[in-house]
Amino acid sequence: MNNYLKLVNFELGRFIKIYFILAGITIASQLIATVLVANNYMKLFNEEIYTNGMTTEQFVETHGEFSLLHVQYSQLFDFPIIFAAATLIIYSFFIWYRDWLGKNTFIYRLLMLPTARINIYLAKASAIFLMVLGLVALQVILLNVESNILKWMVPANLRVDLGIMEFIGNAVGGFSVGLIIPTSFIEFLIHYGVGFMVVFILFTAILFERSYRFKGIAYGIGYAIIAFVVFFAPFVVEMILGKSYLYPIELFILEVLLWVVVTGVSIWVSNYLLNKKVTV
Amino acid sequence: MIEVKNVTKKFGRKKVLQGVSFTANKGEITCLIGVNGVGKTTILNGIVNLTPMSSGEILIDGEKLTKETYEKVAFIPDAITMLPHMRIEEAMQFMQDFYNSWNNERAEELLQFFKLKKEDRISSLSKGNVAKANLLLGLALDVDYLLMDEPFSGIDIFSREQIADVFTSHLVEDRGVIITTHEINDIEHIIDKVVLLDDGIVFKEFETEEMREVEGKSVVDVMREVYRG
Amino acid sequence: MKITFNKRDPVYVQVVQHFKEQIVSGKYELGQEIPSRRELANQLKINPNTAQRAYKEMEEAGLIFTEGNNPSRITKDEQVLRDLRTELIEGAVDRLIAAVEPVNIPIDELIGLIQEKYEEQRRGQV
Repeated sequence: MNNYLKLVNFELGRFIKIYFILAGITIASQLIATVLVANNYMKLFNEEIYTNGMTTEQFVETHGEFSLLHVQYSQLFDFPIIFAAATLIIYSFFIWYRDWLGKNTFIYRLLMLPTARINIYLAKASAIFLMVLGLVALQVILLNVESNILKWMVPANLRVDLGIMEFIGNAVGGFSVGLIIPTSFIEFLIHYGVGFMVVFILFTAILFERSYRFKGIAYGIGYAIIAFVVFFAPFVVEMILGKSYLYPIELFILEVLLWVVVTGVSIWVSNYLLNKKVTV
Repeated sequence: MIEVKNVTKKFGRKKVLQGVSFTANKGEITCLIGVNGVGKTTILNGIVNLTPMSSGEILIDGEKLTKETYEKVAFIPDAITMLPHMRIEEAMQFMQDFYNSWNNERAEELLQFFKLKKEDRISSLSKGNVAKANLLLGLALDVDYLLMDEPFSGIDIFSREQIADVFTSHLVEDRGVIITTHEINDIEHIIDKVVLLDDGIVFKEFETEEMREVEGKSVVDVMREVYRG
Repeated sequence: MKITFNKRDPVYVQVVQHFKEQIVSGKYELGQEIPSRRELANQLKINPNTAQRAYKEMEEAGLIFTEGNNPSRITKDEQVLRDLRTELIEGAVDRLIAAVEPVNIPIDELIGLIQEKYEEQRRGQV
């Protein structure tokens, strides 16, 4: 346990610089988006009122009240989320390969640590997961900050103040925010539970490749396909038969069980590969 | 004692090791000799389970390797096993964090012995100093067995002498050492035992002093016979 | 202390030979303390096991002795020194004779030559 925590800490430390850059980009980009969009709205307001002689009521009727929902249509708002997600997905591969590639032989050290090798796997997965959650938390904080910027830039009579949950529930333009911050706790568990499982499957596939090299690529892809088929089997069956046999709650429980099976098997297979098959 | 028993290893269709057996005793320096590509590194990797063997058995003090074995056997590969951007002191801290057998006093002593500076980054070191830092990280572990892969290759003569000095000092004394080399000259006088490898098998295994005493042959003489004969 | 080892004789034999020469030539005095096994290994750049073996041989031959936990010392026995001296000189002379024998040189000439060369070398050393 102790060694696992040390390894998590170590893995986080190795990526912290890039991680802070990601966070920095997100903060800068979204704040700029907020200011720009609010500014444009106010420009439009001034134009309509002073040049075209509209009343405030007419303006609101024509252009709608301003809220955070306007901001999320901006690419500057969406881009950092997609960018950070893409970076973390790529890093999920790189977190393993960086120990092997080039002149780097750090994998020698990792594999020779006097600790169960599965801790390396769990630590890498935990590091990815913590970094994802960290960015999500940052996004929640940012939404609050952005909401306050709007209050400061747009007068109250032109504005609707949305709570975070209201905002997410209504956010459609930028798909990303709705995906990364679900509105209910159950949904949150589902999103990140599935996400975590995918990371485990990916890591297992990588270990197949690291163990059997060329042939391992096929094994890895094969394993991933089987894992997904098993996990989504209830949906696939229903789709093929065109009928649903299960109540939603039954389906949910079945999926939870399948999640446990797929995740458990991935960890078990990885443990085997790390101990018996993996090679430097 | 480290026992390697009838070990084979295939990489794809290529048989690198075809039934290798030998033993290495505690308190002795055993040298695996063979031309490049003969599987010396593979054997060391096999002993510490960095590469699984295709068949055969490897025992360390009569037992198979477990995670606790890494507190008892240290492997020093021919390249440093730390991240290049780390400072030497950070690498030392990493070792201390994970190994109970890490001996910080010994590490400090080795820093002086090799004239290395703690605050230097590994990526900024010369080849010879990287080799020394690498050696430091392995030697500072209070382990019974040390495996070293080509500790002399690719570094300058002075670093070579300094590293050879390690073998005759208390830093190595009483431990079991296995080193691989394709260049015997530097160390002919300091090794106890030679295992000559060729074509994936052990050609000959002998004690150096006994060979000199009984047959009047140097290690190089024996190598000449084996490889040319 | 520095020895150039040849590669075909056992290292421990060469170490013992070195000690014999040092004792006979007086560089080691009788009863003088000698380095520990570890120190010797380090000085000569040899394996500690080899140093151990050399000391064991010398101990058995009575060239050195160890009392309790004290450092080993050169023997105090004058007789051993005399025997050693004889052994080394006779050994050298035997080798010389074996070497000149095929040349078939008269004894007087050989003695004269030895005297000449020996003195020359001594002068050279001073």
